[in-house]
Amino acid sequence: MNKNIRDTKHKNKLWQFPWGYRESFLIAFFLLLSGFLIDLIDGGGVRMPAWPVNIAIIIIFIIYFILIHYLVKHPIVKWLSSTPAAIAAISTFTLMVLLLGFIPQTPSPADPSLLDSLGLTNVTSSWPYLMSALYLLVVLGFTIVRRFKSFTIKNIAFLLNHIGLWIVVVTASLGSSDMWRLSMGLETRHPSYTAFDSKGQGYNMGFGMILLDFNIEEYPPEVGLMHNRDHTLKLEKGGKLATVKEGTTDILDHYTLTFEKYIPFARKYGDNYDTTSIAGGARAVYIIAKDERNGNTAEGWVCDGSYAIPADYLILNKELSVAMTQLRPKKYSSDIRIYHSMDEYEDFYIEVNKPVTIDGWKIYQTGYDEPMGRWSETSIIELVRDPWLPVVYIGIFMILFGTLYLIWMGKGRIKTKKA
Amino acid sequence: MTWLEFPTYILLTSVFWLLALVLLLTPKRSVFHSLKGVFLFLGWASIIVFTIGLWISLERPPFRTLAETRLWYAVFISTIGIVLYYRWRLPLMLAYTLLMAILFLFLNYLNPDTFDKTLMPALQSPWFIPHVIVYIIGYAFLGFSSLIGVYGLYLYYKGKEVDRTLLMADNIVYIGFAFLTFGLLFGALWAKEAWGHYWTWDPKETWAFLTWLSYLLYIHFRIRKKQSPKTALWIIALAFVVLLICWFGINYLPSAQSSVHVYSS
Repeated sequence: MNKNIRDTKHKNKLWQFPWGYRESFLIAFFLLLSGFLIDLIDGGGVRMPAWPVNIAIIIIFIIYFILIHYLVKHPIVKWLSSTPAAIAAISTFTLMVLLLGFIPQTPSPADPSLLDSLGLTNVTSSWPYLMSALYLLVVLGFTIVRRFKSFTIKNIAFLLNHIGLWIVVVTASLGSSDMWRLSMGLETRHPSYTAFDSKGQGYNMGFGMILLDFNIEEYPPEVGLMHNRDHTLKLEKGGKLATVKEGTTDILDHYTLTFEKYIPFARKYGDNYDTTSIAGGARAVYIIAKDERNGNTAEGWVCDGSYAIPADYLILNKELSVAMTQLRPKKYSSDIRIYHSMDEYEDFYIEVNKPVTIDGWKIYQTGYDEPMGRWSETSIIELVRDPWLPVVYIGIFMILFGTLYLIWMGKGRIKTKKA
Repeated sequence: MTWLEFPTYILLTSVFWLLALVLLLTPKRSVFHSLKGVFLFLGWASIIVFTIGLWISLERPPFRTLAETRLWYAVFISTIGIVLYYRWRLPLMLAYTLLMAILFLFLNYLNPDTFDKTLMPALQSPWFIPHVIVYIIGYAFLGFSSLIGVYGLYLYYKGKEVDRTLLMADNIVYIGFAFLTFGLLFGALWAKEAWGHYWTWDPKETWAFLTWLSYLLYIHFRIRKKQSPKTALWIIALAFVVLLICWFGINYLPSAQSSVHVYSS
């Protein structure tokens, strides 16, 4: 059977219609080659056009598919919606994404290597990538238009998936130049007016923001056994950390640890720790550690430390101590006041995974002053504006519904074969 | 229930399932043969009990670390194998899925990569569970399809008919691919809420997309009826390699060291 296919393939001369796999892949090869050449000569990479050029391109693109499909009766048009063209286009695009997946995407424009010159350290703005994406979009476009002509209920899944994909790829890439992603550091004392893009360029936002309050909700503290020589945790296979809870005991290795007293906001006074309301307080726990092999006990304070006070360990013997792991945030959030003018303001709350939309900007909690930890007086937020987002979402939801339909229907051909 | 009790449970599961597989070889009419269902269920129940117990003791859904996803993979692939066995009577597939599940459980035993109870803030989202669950289900189906692919290649090189095998692979790839699509798009919708953009070419995203493209290639290659079955079988077998890189290999790729999905500390 395999042989027969090969025989029929060889009947056609190269470039004789109808085109098959060889022609489809050769075209892909020339597209990539020209892409690499453009990058080598030009070296600037691709810059996506912004509004309104991008919307014009999309409209022209769509009209072009429909017109060509109805007006031009050339075998090339037929080939453009054929399976070999689809396979070649998907393969080519996959190849470019593979390069993206293997090569670290860290261009060094100051001292370009060969990879840099070919655009391979910044694949998504390289010409060969653009060429492969265009190939894919053109084949996809003609496939959609052809299917539309023979519209049936059964085609719905096909159309939802293919149109959805086309919309997502086109709007996500052409819309990217209309997207703003700015970062802003907010402080408790002074309002901030300037946000910065990824290149460090500052923009005046036209409004001011001040941090009212920054909150970290933290995981319960944990202690573990630490090697004295290099301050690394001793974690054996099946080993664990002990969760600190006042009045409980836990076992680590050969040691029974009793947590006598726990202070979430502590400061050291002499040899002792006590609750503090001053900024910089750390977590401290009084531990009695009993070595179950010989009955020896050691007791003392263990503290994770903060920017203001040093960490404290409980030394068990020459090799080991008990130490507390660093504070791990469970979630963090900010209360923010935004000033639209001198006396007109609005308060809002954001946390990770819970952005808000204000004045057309979607505002995200992204970070804080990490060395200061729970005492941070800075909150880092991101402001995002993406006018194309609704269209991308339409595409995404089309694919989601198309895929649901796909699960429901399965691959229809088997049923017809059995019947 | 913690990973400390894990060895007991995998021992139970492995013994029960291996017994079931041995009983599978006994004559169909014998009492022993009908007993295999009991052992299949006991093995399955013990891994389920462990998973639920782990979930409760961690106080968060166990979907974060590699060890946890491997556990889920073992749960899903064995479930699929058992269900498909009773639906279509595929003893070879049952053996494969159970052995795969045991292999994954033992990988966890030899390499328990974390005991971490914490979940970083960005992962605390209602999207978290659906995102991972649909991926794991997708992986289980696609892993299964690639085995069919390898089996098909074996048949092919022995000069046997593979059309039926490919048709079976088609159906399973369709389902697996659908779940992969859900995983990818749920991830995009979640990323928009957590990181401000739905797609940032994070290495894990890139490789998940590559996995998706590989199976997309297979699906399109199979559209034409008289296509070379050998090529189709190779695509399906190699696509799984891409999937594995996305799942495990990503932690070792130099291009992925800054990924937001590499959670090992």
